[in-house]
Amino acid sequence: MTTERLLELDAVSKRFGRVVVADGLSFGVRQGETLGIVGPNGAGKTSLFGMISGDLRVDTGDIRLSGTSLTSLSTARRVRSGVVRTHQVPRPFTGMTVFENVLVAAQQGGGLRASHAVDRTLEVIEETGLAEHANVVSGRLGLLSRKRLEVARALACGPRLLLLDEVAGGLTDPEVDTLVSIVRGVNARGVTVLWIEHVVRALVSTVDRLVCLALGSLVAEGKPSEVLARPEVKQIFLGTGAAVDEAPGGLP
Amino acid sequence: MTEMATREGAADESPAAPSQVSGVRIRRSTRSSRLAIAPALIVLAVLAYLPFLFAQDTTNTMVNFFILLVLGMTWNVLAGYAGLVSVGQQAFLGAGAYSVLWLAQQGMDPLAALPVAAVFCGVVAIPVSWLVFRLRGGYFAIGTWAVAEVFALVTIRSSALGGGTGTNLPGLDGYDPVTLGALTYWAALAIAVLTLLGSYLMLRSRVGLALTAVRDDDHAAEGVGVRPAGAKRVVYLLAAIGAGAAGGVLAISQLNVQADNVYGVQWAAYMIFVVLIGGIGTLEGPIIGTIVFFILQQTLASHGAWYLILVGLVAVVMALWSPRGLWGIAERFGVHLFPVGYRVVHPEESQS
Repeated sequence: MTTERLLELDAVSKRFGRVVVADGLSFGVRQGETLGIVGPNGAGKTSLFGMISGDLRVDTGDIRLSGTSLTSLSTARRVRSGVVRTHQVPRPFTGMTVFENVLVAAQQGGGLRASHAVDRTLEVIEETGLAEHANVVSGRLGLLSRKRLEVARALACGPRLLLLDEVAGGLTDPEVDTLVSIVRGVNARGVTVLWIEHVVRALVSTVDRLVCLALGSLVAEGKPSEVLARPEVKQIFLGTGAAVDEAPGGLP
Repeated sequence: MTEMATREGAADESPAAPSQVSGVRIRRSTRSSRLAIAPALIVLAVLAYLPFLFAQDTTNTMVNFFILLVLGMTWNVLAGYAGLVSVGQQAFLGAGAYSVLWLAQQGMDPLAALPVAAVFCGVVAIPVSWLVFRLRGGYFAIGTWAVAEVFALVTIRSSALGGGTGTNLPGLDGYDPVTLGALTYWAALAIAVLTLLGSYLMLRSRVGLALTAVRDDDHAAEGVGVRPAGAKRVVYLLAAIGAGAAGGVLAISQLNVQADNVYGVQWAAYMIFVVLIGGIGTLEGPIIGTIVFFILQQTLASHGAWYLILVGLVAVVMALWSPRGLWGIAERFGVHLFPVGYRVVHPEESQS
């Protein structure tokens, strides 16, 4: 427990009208760990990523990276300081090739110049298994390759903290395994990973710790097996409890 | 391999040097672009020689062609890449024309005043960008149009600049008409070539790649560290400089400056038309679009309203059937004259 905290959320709150997406949320992500986030639709998982990455402003509370507050920084500044997210629905630059998609991330987010950016791009493309698609215009890619590209683009920014938003969603089992092994490799290189996932199997096999959110609040936190064994978490996932019925769905 | 290395532009930041990673090379040119270099140089040489071949009314027509080409190319980078759908570039066209007029009134040679006027427009664009960049989408479009109208209204209050009726451009009496026509033509040609080269080099650079990402998805671009606001501001200033230079040439070629003409919203319509029918978001598009527009204008101008009806019809047909314009059709066959992209070439396939 003495490990340094890379990311710290301190009583973060956010609401859209009457919908609460974060209600005094506090937890930390340790340097080098993989922390999974589970919770029903509308629990505020993606909104949480938005607040960490800078797409959304927090109403109250603070988010700190290595002790430095992020909340007043723009998305681009946060990317340059090492906080990079992927999107649940991949958002490739559809008119650009895979190589160009990753290169722009290496140049802008990674701050690399000339051949260094090219080298980083080629490495990341190799690491994410996109080498054979390097010259393909990304708008023509299938879902698995688009998901790989989301990860590749984020990695090219040279992240300290990687925010993965449902990279395994919508994929077949073998495809999920491929992505899980990519994420493990990234984490093994020392990148801290915060991972939202509905494919619990993928998550449990990879993460060190698990956090369960519902209605913008922290329901449980701990080892994956312990968290999933808690009655309140089971209730949420079996979909029998009132907590699920009340949960507003379809939020970004 | 050596051939590939020499093809790399010197201004390019990403060198063709083999990467540390498994000897892979990055190629920036395409087959069609390499084949097009020689014909492009010939076309340029012929264009430069044109004043010696044709009478002055031909070169005067070509000056208008280049003005429209410059406006089309700059508007394409604005709207097609930076997502800045401005309907107010005539603000800088007019400012450029009136800058040349004012400098000429102070005794400067109008041709020498051209670059000064262009830079002045770039400077004016800075405070204007603070204002209009607060607006998004349709509001931005209307806002820029309003700015152009304000420019026009402010200008016509000055009686020294001819008020609402306009005034003649002084300082050109020293030239004989044929020399002046040729010089104006070359100035217009030079501005068009500089605009094309400038857009090309910019789109090939880091800023260009970032802008292309912004074109495709500005939110995702921000998520990989691009600062869209900075990139957009650069484009806005450069487009203002281009429009300002075009306005200066317009003043010199017409020999007088009149607010309704140089600040007219019809310029915005022309820019949009040439870019949309040529192909938005491509460098080649505005060139094709300007050529098509000019052919239509020259062949149909005597038919009055039919000309406008046909031009509108062409725009509607293109919008419905080929949203990427005429050049979008050519690109389906893999033709790129101004390749701004990157191609990864593995050692074993370096002949391709």
